[in-house]
Order: sequence, then C-alpha cells, then structure tokens
Amino acid sequence: MENVRPEMQVDIGGLIIKNPVMTASGTFGYGKEYAPYLDIRRLGAIITKGISLEPRAGNKPPRIMETPCGMLNAIGLENPGVHAFIKEKLPFLREFDVPVIANVFGETIDDFKKVTELLSETKEVEGLEINISCPNVKKGGIIFGSDPDMAYAVTKEVKRLTDLPVIIKLTPNVTDICLIAESVEGGGADAISLINTLTGMSVDIEQRIPHLANVTGGLSGPAIKPIALRMVWQVVKRVKIPVIGIGGIANAGDALEFLIVGARAVQVGTANFINPCATMDIIDGIEKYLKRHNMADVNDLIGTFDEEGKTC
Amino acid sequence: MNGTVVKNKEICAGHFLLSVKLPESFKTPMPGQFVMTRETGRIDPLLGRPFGVYHFEKSENEATVKILYKVVGKGTLLLSRLREGDFVEVLGPYGRAFDVYPEAGRVVFICGGIGVAPITYLASHYRRLTGARNVKLVCYYGANKAENLVGIEKIKDICSEVFISTDDGSAGFHGLITARFSEDISSYDPGSSKIYACGPRSMLKQLSELLAENSVSCQILMEERMACGVGACLGCTVLLNDVEGIGAHARACTDGPVFNIRDIRWG
Repeated sequence: MENVRPEMQVDIGGLIIKNPVMTASGTFGYGKEYAPYLDIRRLGAIITKGISLEPRAGNKPPRIMETPCGMLNAIGLENPGVHAFIKEKLPFLREFDVPVIANVFGETIDDFKKVTELLSETKEVEGLEINISCPNVKKGGIIFGSDPDMAYAVTKEVKRLTDLPVIIKLTPNVTDICLIAESVEGGGADAISLINTLTGMSVDIEQRIPHLANVTGGLSGPAIKPIALRMVWQVVKRVKIPVIGIGGIANAGDALEFLIVGARAVQVGTANFINPCATMDIIDGIEKYLKRHNMADVNDLIGTFDEEGKTC
Repeated sequence: MNGTVVKNKEICAGHFLLSVKLPESFKTPMPGQFVMTRETGRIDPLLGRPFGVYHFEKSENEATVKILYKVVGKGTLLLSRLREGDFVEVLGPYGRAFDVYPEAGRVVFICGGIGVAPITYLASHYRRLTGARNVKLVCYYGANKAENLVGIEKIKDICSEVFISTDDGSAGFHGLITARFSEDISSYDPGSSKIYACGPRSMLKQLSELLAENSVSCQILMEERMACGVGACLGCTVLLNDVEGIGAHARACTDGPVFNIRDIRWG
C-alpha cells in the first residue's frame, strides 16, 4: 500500500466529492476569509454561511462566549441576503475548483422556496444544505426542525423546486432526532447533516447579566462531540440516505470516529478558528489511517463500527 | 505558526512580557495589527487570545514577537504560566492597521492601562519614519497606580513629551488620562495633529465625547471577544454610528481593530 494513495471520494447524496471533509456553515464565511491560510481547493466541499431571502443584520453584540472546551455563539444568522450572495460572494468561490454547497434558511416555507429557486437558477452551486434550526414565524416560532411534519414539508417543497442534491441539516434540540431524520428522508432529502449547535447559555456573575446579548446561544466545539457522535450513530441506523457528521471535530481521530459509526462525510466548524489548517490536517490524517490499516478506499471504513466489540 | 517561548517575564503584579520565537517567514505586523495566541495542543481554553503587537523583529533565521499583556481571565492566566521552551501557536498578523502620516506636525498617543502595548509599537514606527524630521511625538499614559505604568521607560525613550496619570494619584496627574488630555486639547490643531488611542472602552467613549466638537483625526483600537480572527465567524461585532441594519455591524478583526473614533456607536 506504500505508494498508492487511498481512494477518498464519497457520494453525499448524488454529489460526489473528492474527500469526506467539508467546512461547516457559519465557520468559514464565504471562502475568501480563509483562502490566504490554506489550500481550499483540497477541501471536499465548502458549505457557505447561511443565506436568507432578505439581508439580515444578526444579533446585537456580544455574540460569542467561550465555554469549557467550546463556545457559544448567537450571531443571529447575519448575511447579506441571497441576491448579494449571488452577486458578490459566489464569484470568488467559483474561482476555486471546490464544490460549493449553499446553506439556506428561512422564516417561512415560502422563504426556503424562493431562496432555493434563486440559487438553483445560478447553476453555480453544487448542492443545498437546508438549515431547519430556525423558527417558523408563521407557526408561532416553532423550530422547523423540531416538528416532524414541518421538517417533512420544508424538505418536500424544496425538493420540488431544484435538481440539486438537498441536504437537510438537523437540530439536536429535539426529543428524538431519529424521528426528524426519518421525516426528512420521507420528504425526499438526498442526505442529512447533523448536528447543528446545542442551545446553551453563560452568566456574568459579577454583573449578573447574560454573557450573550441574545441570552442563549449555540454550543459548539470539542465539548459537544460525544452528543453529536451518538446522534449520528443513531440516525445512521434509521435512514438509508447518506449522513454527514458535524460536531466538535478537531482532528483526524475525531473525523474517523464519525466515519466509523457510519457518517459518509464530516464537516469541520469551530476547529477552523483554532487551526485554520484543521481540515488539511484531517484529510491527511484520514489518508494515513487508511494506509496504516491497509484500506484502499475510505468507503471500506465507513460504517464498520462493531457495536458489540470489546476493548480487550 | 508554531512558536517557542523565549521568555515570559512578570513586569509587575499581573502584567507580563511574553517573547516568542517564530519562523522567519512570519509576516511583519503593521502597527495596529494583532496576533491570535494560544498554547499549542490545548483545547481548554479553546480560543486563541488576540493581542496587539508590542514589538517585532526579524533576523536571517527567525522572527521574534513580543506581547505585553495583563492577566484578566482564564486564557491570560494560563499564558502567564508558560515557560521558556513551551510551544505556542501565533496566528496572524491580522486586522486593519493604523493609517500613518509621515507628514504630520504632531502625533499624540493616548493609552489607558495595557493599551500602551500596541501604541508603543505604533510610536516606534513613527519614530523610525519621522526621526530625521524630529516630529513631535506626545504620549498621554494613564494607569490605576504608579507600578502599573508598564513599559513607561520605552515610551519615554520614543516620545519627546510624556504625560502620566494615575487613578490613585501615586504618580503624575491624579485622575483619568482623558481628564489630563482635556487640559491640552485646544492646543492640538486639526490641520497638523493626529491622535491615536488604545485603552478601556470607557476611556475611548470619554475621548469621543471630548473630541465631539473637534475635527482632529483620531484612530482607536477596538477590542472584542474573538473566535476566528479572520472575519469568517462574525462574532466580534462592533456597532457603527450613523448606519442601520447590516451596515451597522463591523468586524473588529477585519474591518478593525483600527477604527475612526467617530465611527463607533458607543451606546
């Protein structure tokens, strides 16, 4: 196996990417911010910051707060809106030979539909990741992804309007994520990505005020990995479509855990802040592992978790 | 980039000077830029801490960056325990640098507390740029007490006039540095003076009020909690004046940390 590089291509629901490592939405901007620091052409794919129909200013500061082995964020989905994204952000991304998956969110099903249509028309994105962790303002603010029927409806409506592979990104802030996963599979999702952040908070004890202006925020980073991994493992067993693992992945070992329990690919998020080259180290590390285990193809590793296996 | 601690010296209680050896390829920071620093291999605390550059030099084989810092929380406490030979990651230099005016008649620096650190780097830069012309470099430096006036010797070396203040009156003017500065403010002609300031938010806010009726140019450094340092995460938001909506949100790490004092919404 010495001189032959392992095959790293994976199929994430109709889109074949060169390796299973992608950057997570909200952690990599629109590619330009990180381009000076790593070779972004080596990435399996880039997932953009969430795009909405209209521009969104996002939350008032303070928006971030560090926590043990992690951080809370309440950015508030600040973005320039789909029209500005297409005009100003997409052209730079297209200069690199790396698949761009546009992350989309909305406050109503109509928003999701409009953004889906506009992005599909450009023929310049390779896939859509639908963020259903936002509130449905038409239904009293219930999170789309917390209700199986709403999750199903968003998936179905989006799929109707596009030929692009549609990945549904799940929120873990639910009672049973497998129910939601089954719903979106039923709605026609080509793949599922999980997890989005876990809702948390932090208090300034001297001033007795929240550390975040929004009070609550999303927890990410190494602290959430065990939860993310458990949820990925559970969802993989319940659906047939590819599952993409997200949550606290900081190094190749972390990524391998997710692949072993059945994730077809992974997204790296918060780790980019600590090490701009985290994704490069992870890609290299996966290759090294495969060589060491005499595996010619990363797909030979995916889902090989032995639940009953004992350590000694 | 991976760096090695050369020295991490306690200058006075809670204030340290960290010297890190870096590869020669590390880009020379411009005054106002910052570096994200963290102990190699740690995931707790998770995030790098942003520090303005205090000193930087390059030789044929290596570069050295110096950071003058105060212990204010978990990250800086752990940083203060690093010893010679320990590994640190230094990312950067990041951020928008100060606009520098070699033709200025007088350059005024205003520092509050550890804000003296990046201002010193800027002042050294000005001294090199204008040495031949003997431009007047003036520094106003305030701290809560005399022993916390760290780096005062270096500032006195660079600037032709240095005015000190302490909150407790143990040295110099008894009171805030903005109060001391306000005594001289009318002598600074907007046509030829440039002001630079770095310090606690309350100091910068007071300075903006002092300068409200004055058109003299004033650039400041804004400090915010940061995660990525490169403009991707949108965590380090600074609110701007006279704009609403998405345009009112600037990133301290990329649109700053240097800002025009009049552009900030102080709230």
